[in-house]
Amino acid sequence: MGFAMTLANAMLVFRKDWMEIRRNSQVLAPILIVPLVFTVVLPLIVILVPSVIGMPETAYQGVGTIFENLPPDIKAIVEGMSAQQSMTYIFALYFFAPFFLIIPIMASSVLASDSFAGEKDRKTIEALLATPLTDGELLLGKILVSFVPSMAVTISAFALYCVVVDVSSFSLFNGAILLPNLLWAALIFLVTPLVALAGIGITVMVSLRVKGYREAQQLSAILVLPVLGLIFGQIGGVIMFGTTMIMLLVAGFAVTDLILFRVGLRVFRREEILMKSV
Amino acid sequence: MPVISVSGLSKSFGGLDAVSGLSFDVEEGEIYGLLGPNGAGKTTTVRMLACIISPSGGTAAVAGHDIRADPVAVRRSVGVLTESPSLYERLTAEENLTFFARAYGMTDDRKVSGRVKELLQFFQLWDRRGEKSAVFSKGMKQKLAIARALVHDPPVIFLDEPTAGLDPEASKLIRDLITEMSQKERHTIMLCTHRLEDAEKVCSRVMVVNMGRRVVVGSPDEIRSEVAGKAKLEVMVANPSTALVEAAASVAGVSAGAIAENGRLIFELDDLNAATPLVVRALVESGARVLTVNTFLPSLEEAYLRLIKGDGWDSR
Repeated sequence: MGFAMTLANAMLVFRKDWMEIRRNSQVLAPILIVPLVFTVVLPLIVILVPSVIGMPETAYQGVGTIFENLPPDIKAIVEGMSAQQSMTYIFALYFFAPFFLIIPIMASSVLASDSFAGEKDRKTIEALLATPLTDGELLLGKILVSFVPSMAVTISAFALYCVVVDVSSFSLFNGAILLPNLLWAALIFLVTPLVALAGIGITVMVSLRVKGYREAQQLSAILVLPVLGLIFGQIGGVIMFGTTMIMLLVAGFAVTDLILFRVGLRVFRREEILMKSV
Repeated sequence: MPVISVSGLSKSFGGLDAVSGLSFDVEEGEIYGLLGPNGAGKTTTVRMLACIISPSGGTAAVAGHDIRADPVAVRRSVGVLTESPSLYERLTAEENLTFFARAYGMTDDRKVSGRVKELLQFFQLWDRRGEKSAVFSKGMKQKLAIARALVHDPPVIFLDEPTAGLDPEASKLIRDLITEMSQKERHTIMLCTHRLEDAEKVCSRVMVVNMGRRVVVGSPDEIRSEVAGKAKLEVMVANPSTALVEAAASVAGVSAGAIAENGRLIFELDDLNAATPLVVRALVESGARVLTVNTFLPSLEEAYLRLIKGDGWDSR
């Protein structure tokens, strides 16, 4: 009964926030446009442009360093492929993977900023805190409204990415289907939920200490930096998307989430929230 | 038994005492005013009593629930009009009220929609129920915010500056509503304001606070007469003279008399209604040709300003 009540009240907050969010283009625009760039625009540039305009073999020399740094097992897979096939294969299946960490981070931090700090901005927080809803119900409702749409966007983006990659590389690989595969499924269904939760956790704590949505979002943008590190790490050959990276990401983000939510629960007090907004 | 009972309530922010040892009781159906300048501690007091923030010291019971021991029960029993309307501007009027009805624990869909309709009709917002509150005028937003405070029909209502920024017509509408809620529905209302007109017209008792401390408590009439001085009688005569003043000043109930610069005779009276005819008669019998007679009650504003400036008035 206790948990059912908590969940019902959290869902009340979730539905109210969701109604507000879907009427706010300032929030919807980035969480729809950024995934479209990562799942449609960039893959099409990398896969379709060379095949349409016919890139010479020398054009692929620019990415030679990346190929040299590939782990032996991936090198073995692409060994028999043409230059265009190997570039498409490597980029589509490995190098775009970290972008799918940026999507949940960006979406969750934008949504959480609006849900937490946005209430301060719009001066609606005091009426909400005056209700009998408990701190836990408010926190859970606001986490859900940041988490559920973030994951919906991430999973939809992944589905779209699979279609874009498979359709655009269909003739290049003689009808072979590249995605989805087990590694990507692990990335999307194991890693990205933990990443989204980390984004929410950091944004909640930032939101408690700032006065408005923009400030919260700007500070939360710092979350993208470690992901950029992954992208450059791959280019430099230091790390490569694979089973080991998935396991490290799961372990790293699980620990991070645990710490963030323990601290978050301790600092999420209605008085603190109200006082930091005035 | 008081519906609100406050004892030694205090709140400090860092080293600053926002509220210091307030104690008072509010009876059922009473409209109790908290009057004071900006920063006096009115909003902080209401926030503590509505369990939005916790006190640093003292205690209080609201609608029978201790604010420290059972804050959720207190929140369920009170409706709060916050300093700003605090409305979700992307939600419609109906969506705003429905959300808060459910947040205050109303679970029956038919009861929720019935109550929402009742309030929107009462506040003449029913025809605009489907519009986002962002497009509402300030007066409409304030009415919707008051409707939100009433949506769960709480026994205790805290109204923080309910007429702030409203035009005179809208202000009157809100004042009439407050009086009606108190008289007809026996809601206990605590009204925070620095608008003396509001306090004077609707409050049965007023507590003046300044710098977090209680300055005085009483009905507006008591405070006005005790702090701002006595009622005045101004008589314009065709033949002003010191002899006339002396003749009238000897009447029982007249505490002082003088000739003003404009030639009018001014008397301070202990009891306006009893002494006025006696003074006029004494003047006429002494040969005065009376042209006009005016009486003046000291305003609550005079009393308030004296209190706030600490003009020789002891806090009690």
